[in-house]
Amino acid sequence: MALRAAILRHVRVPVQTLTGGRAQLPYGGSLRFLSSHDDHLSKDEVIERVLSVIKSFPKVDPSQVTTDVHFQKDLGLDSLDNVEIVMALEEEFKLEIPDKEADKIDSSNLAIEYIYNHPLAG
Amino acid sequence: MSVTSTAGYLARRAAQRERVRILYRRALKDTLNWAVHRHLFYQDASELRERFEANKKVEDLDTIDRLIDDGEASYNKWRHPDPYIVPWAPGGSKFTRNPAPPAGIEIVYNYGREDND
Repeated sequence: MALRAAILRHVRVPVQTLTGGRAQLPYGGSLRFLSSHDDHLSKDEVIERVLSVIKSFPKVDPSQVTTDVHFQKDLGLDSLDNVEIVMALEEEFKLEIPDKEADKIDSSNLAIEYIYNHPLAG
Repeated sequence: MSVTSTAGYLARRAAQRERVRILYRRALKDTLNWAVHRHLFYQDASELRERFEANKKVEDLDTIDRLIDDGEASYNKWRHPDPYIVPWAPGGSKFTRNPAPPAGIEIVYNYGREDND
């Protein structure tokens, strides 16, 4: 018992902390691994990319686009434009949204929430 | 017009609107499947949109139902046999592929020859 205590006092297992996270990655953290979905999108990034997709839609006035804009009521689009925007968002984030759920996305707020909570948005 | 028939009319219109939205969504995706390049897709997509816009002003409910049925039949007839599937989705190229190991786990490729032999 004494021997064990003496050994335990002297033996040390070197502790290596994982130096990781996005800050340590090359290319300023913008490197995205093609095969892993471990690092999830941040909310800011989702917001920025969703808004840029909506702004680049031809019939939309970019100055009116905010995070809680309703596509049909605020931007003057019709339901088919809404379908096109949702499809553009699917392509931007490499998603496949089921038809019934995609049909319910009618504002940028809903789109941001859906994409941010989707585990495979990339 | 009584309240029930108005409600029935609105419910039927809402159902038709949803059918049209979903049909347009599927048809637009299928257009992208058929188009080899983006610049071909843009032309095809605007032609598809014109086909939908042509019947925008139709008011008669039975006519609308018949038009939607025609559209769905046409969609089913020309559906792409090998559509694009997002890689992680069922049927996609990455579906159930092994995920990357978590950070900090190292794979040593020395094929069983450890240091002591």
